[in-house]
Amino acid sequence: MFSYSVVGAQLYVGDMLFVMITFLVLMWLVKIVAWKPITKMMQDRSDKIVNDIDSAKESRTKAAELAQKRQAELDKTRDDANGIINNAKQNGQRQRDQIVEDARNEASNLKSSAEKDIEQQRQEALANSRKDVASLSIDIASKIISKELNEDDQKGLVDSYIEGLGKQK
Amino acid sequence: MGDSAASTFEFLGLTFNVGNMISISLACVVVLVLVYALSRHLTLKPGKAQNVLEYAVDFTNGIVRSSISGETSRTLGLWGFTLFMFIIIANLQGLFLHIDISGVTYVKSPTSDPVITMTLALMTLTLAQFLGIRKLGYKGHFQNYLKPFVFFLPINLFEEFTNFLTLGLRLFGNILSGEMLLGIILGMSHGGAVMWIVSFILELAWTGFSVFIGCIQAYVFVVLSSVYISRKLELED
Repeated sequence: MFSYSVVGAQLYVGDMLFVMITFLVLMWLVKIVAWKPITKMMQDRSDKIVNDIDSAKESRTKAAELAQKRQAELDKTRDDANGIINNAKQNGQRQRDQIVEDARNEASNLKSSAEKDIEQQRQEALANSRKDVASLSIDIASKIISKELNEDDQKGLVDSYIEGLGKQK
Repeated sequence: MGDSAASTFEFLGLTFNVGNMISISLACVVVLVLVYALSRHLTLKPGKAQNVLEYAVDFTNGIVRSSISGETSRTLGLWGFTLFMFIIIANLQGLFLHIDISGVTYVKSPTSDPVITMTLALMTLTLAQFLGIRKLGYKGHFQNYLKPFVFFLPINLFEEFTNFLTLGLRLFGNILSGEMLLGIILGMSHGGAVMWIVSFILELAWTGFSVFIGCIQAYVFVVLSSVYISRKLELED
């Protein structure tokens, strides 16, 4: 059944030669058929992976740079906006104060001029009444003087005058 | 057993065994077809077949690189891959296909023949010597035999010889015993229905085990070959 028992092995030199040659031929054929293309493919792949890793690293740094730049710009913009808002607030405050001040001034002006008017009118009225009193006194005096009166007449005259005064008012 | 009938012929004064030649050629053809089929349509993004092949290549490359360093390991990748594929196919071949015609074996595991395994071992050790001389020069290479002392020369030479013997005989013994036991179990099955069932189960189990052993032995052969080569590539001190 088996060609050899362990002990009774014959040395077939031809077989040795055959094994060597077939093995070398097999190696050569495997090299042509599969080894070269598969090794090349694996090399290509590892190259590609290395390249991809490199480019990924590069783009990540770029992205980080970009993000940083954008963050900086964002901060700057926020600062600007804050500045603008603060400015506006200050302006508004100032304007409000101005308006209130103006209003207050105007009100006080109005008040003082009104007071002045009132005072003037009062003075005028006083002057008028004083004039009236004076003229009245002159009238009364002239009437007293022009007419010699007895006591009753005088009394009647004063009464009528006072009555007239009441009517005149 | 003990049946040493073999169909041989003489050519140029050399004896050839037809059974061995057929078995070796068949194993080579199977390896070639397998590798050819797996290496079609190679793409950067591998398909199933390509993955299998790449796994095998990575595996043998790993074996070679784990013991041999530097530039040599890259050139030895093809050698390791072919050796591994050839031995594993040769080991398994006899388990699936065993053709005897009138007592003469024509197809079996080529590795169950000591001449073949010894030849593989011889090729490996010759390669080791060659690479050692190429790397270290004749002087450095042969000085390694005198280390650590001059008196180690016979021991080193003997070690060289035992390396050759054990490398070849380990593979041969494992595969031959596997096939032999399969034959014995097969012989048992002629003793009636019960024996047939028993031997069927045994045969099944032993075939599985032999497949396992065949793979392990192919691995061991490549690993030891790499180690033997790597030892020739460095100056001992």
